[in-house]
Amino acid sequence: MSECRKENLAHFAVTVISKDRPGIVADISEVLFRLGCNLEDSSCTMLGGDFAMILIISHEKPFTKARLGDEFKLLHERTGLTVSVRALSEAEICPVKEEGELCLISVYGSDQPGIVYRVTKELAERKINIADLNTKLIGTKEEPVYVLMLEAALPDGMSVDDTAAVLEKLKKELSVEISVRVITPVSL
Amino acid sequence: MPVQKILLYPHPILKKMCHPVAAIDRSITGLLQDLLDTMHAGPGSVGVAAPQIGVTLRVCVVDVSASRNGKENNHGLLQMINPEITKRQGAAIMREGCMSVPDYTGDVERATEITIRFMDGDGIHHEIEASGFEAVAIQHEMDHLDGMLFLDRIASLKTGLFRRKSYK
Repeated sequence: MSECRKENLAHFAVTVISKDRPGIVADISEVLFRLGCNLEDSSCTMLGGDFAMILIISHEKPFTKARLGDEFKLLHERTGLTVSVRALSEAEICPVKEEGELCLISVYGSDQPGIVYRVTKELAERKINIADLNTKLIGTKEEPVYVLMLEAALPDGMSVDDTAAVLEKLKKELSVEISVRVITPVSL
Repeated sequence: MPVQKILLYPHPILKKMCHPVAAIDRSITGLLQDLLDTMHAGPGSVGVAAPQIGVTLRVCVVDVSASRNGKENNHGLLQMINPEITKRQGAAIMREGCMSVPDYTGDVERATEITIRFMDGDGIHHEIEASGFEAVAIQHEMDHLDGMLFLDRIASLKTGLFRRKSYK
């Protein structure tokens, strides 16, 4: 049993992506509430014209993925919402604590394929761990501008300046602006 | 004086409006000492407010002089009774954590320059201007005196309230 969670809980990852309309969250959470599930963590946002939900839920054992599947099938028939469920193993549910300095990296420039890949590849090769990442397409139809913002934890021994230097060469290659700044959480 | 236990939310005292101190007596000087001892015992702590140790009086202590963010710009130890901010200027976002809400942080916008009036433990009135991290710390502690936590000030859960969790 994992040391970081209560015993006797089954965990599931639930994902929903649907054309946006009022009531999606209520539809999904009503099912979970009726089944007695706990909504442990969630992220719900608009992606393009779709509403996207990722939920981590738990339920006291015994409880099966099939039980959730049956309920969401009925919901699909009633509302058209398609829900995907994955059972999480004990090893998957333990939160990983932040380590190293936190920094915020912002990248923006003319839209082109590969911005996310090139930036994150440089970070991955240096064991820089991404904690949060968002992208948006802004600007005009004629001149779209791609914006990427991510928050990352630097490995021990790597500074914000080192990280900026690593990304410096991408600025010219991709013709984008890149800035790296430290986020120092303060204890008060 | 002993180090006091820091109350954790949802303890109801943390949401109470604190009362002004009417007169400085031994109980107030004792409270100040408790706050100092508790602040010094907290790893990396730069301030403690009375409600955090269970006392609903408008008293707090701040000292950012030993912290990385505040060592260049500070007034040293501030023991503040009935503090009042009379002027605020500028705005900046800082990621704040709180001993009463452990393990979580949140991005909070605060004034970058403030003027504060307060009374010290000897009953002497002061008016000082603080800026940078010291100003943030003072505003954070003074929020406690109004029953406010940084959770009351964050605009988005998405911007760093929760520690990162990895579901591999």
